[in-house]
Amino acid sequence: MRDARISDAVNRQLAHLSDEALVALAARSEQSALAELYDRYGRSAYGLALRVLRDQALAEDAVQEAFLTVWRTASRFMPERGKASTWILTLVHRRAVDAVRREQRRRADSLDPADEPAVEGAEEDAFLHLQRERVQAALRSLPDAQREALELAYYGGFSQSELAERLGQPLGTIKSRMFGGLSRMRELLGEPGTETSWTPTT
Amino acid sequence: MDPHDLTAAYALDALDPEEAAAYERHLSQCEECREQLAELNETAAALAFGAVAPAPPERLRASILDAAAAERSNVVPLLRRRWVARGLAVAAAAAACIVVGLAVSLSQSSKTQFTSMSVSRDASGVTIMHVAGLPAAPAGKTYEAWVIPPGGAPRPAALFPGGVSMTSRLPGTVPQGAIVAVTVERAGGSNKPTTTPILSTPT
Repeated sequence: MRDARISDAVNRQLAHLSDEALVALAARSEQSALAELYDRYGRSAYGLALRVLRDQALAEDAVQEAFLTVWRTASRFMPERGKASTWILTLVHRRAVDAVRREQRRRADSLDPADEPAVEGAEEDAFLHLQRERVQAALRSLPDAQREALELAYYGGFSQSELAERLGQPLGTIKSRMFGGLSRMRELLGEPGTETSWTPTT
Repeated sequence: MDPHDLTAAYALDALDPEEAAAYERHLSQCEECREQLAELNETAAALAFGAVAPAPPERLRASILDAAAAERSNVVPLLRRRWVARGLAVAAAAAACIVVGLAVSLSQSSKTQFTSMSVSRDASGVTIMHVAGLPAAPAGKTYEAWVIPPGGAPRPAALFPGGVSMTSRLPGTVPQGAIVAVTVERAGGSNKPTTTPILSTPT
């Protein structure tokens, strides 16, 4: 009786924990913490993987591998080095980029951002939609060359050498476009360090 | 090639494997790059939210959790075994209490440490809060506990210095659905919270 109540209390409580506390719980084999992290970031993770890989099965594999890496290496996560959400999405991105580089043929496809996979059926979550608008607006305000470098690198999975070749530019130019674009995005998106990923529920 | 130039490309996963390995070797010796990378990583990860995010198939969640369970089974969850046990020890002292709220958080200290707060209520409506693992409040500061009734303003409930486990009876009645939260306030306490809660739990 008491155990059941406690178990319920624990599950209910997870929703109020910071991402970083959930990672720490995952490090202690608390599966419900992993589930809560998936519920918070699984959708963004899948959207990112799908954008890079343009293939549902490959995107699912990338997300699964990334979350299992969270599970396996949660004890090594260092909260003072960055947010848990950054860590998770970085893992997802790395998996997706590794996979897309293995699947060279897919990248011969068009990389026009307008050519993104269509959202099937369901409308996007409202909060995610707002976040997406914000990032897209920031990207649109970048100089074309910087936006192109960021989009091809991050969403296209191209390496800097591939970009230099594809765009017919010296490597140094590509590097400074990526650095300039990312730094400008950081300004445009505000000081991410001050953003709180955890607010008390009222 | 100057490795300092590679931070943005690394954050975007735009290095070839050999370049990435070389950059990582450099990173272990360059605090400046580590700091810059932490910033750029965060911005790069924000780009993830720029992609359309359709709901993943339902099976993906189950597949991840099944695989996780197969790798490392959760026989006796520590959360329940230890932290709740602490709350229960307090609850037992108050006889027939029920743990109605529990919060766990990471402290900001360099050494990773858990902070837990449990809130218990007994049949007569007495509410007890137990906080463990909270480092001592900074000089000139105190921890302050608040009871926030549904739709109401936060009510000061307790002041405590941290550093040691603390058990406190919360004054008055704590209505069903109230939130119990802890903030850092100036010494002597405040009438209303002036900082973001470091711990918070519904009851």
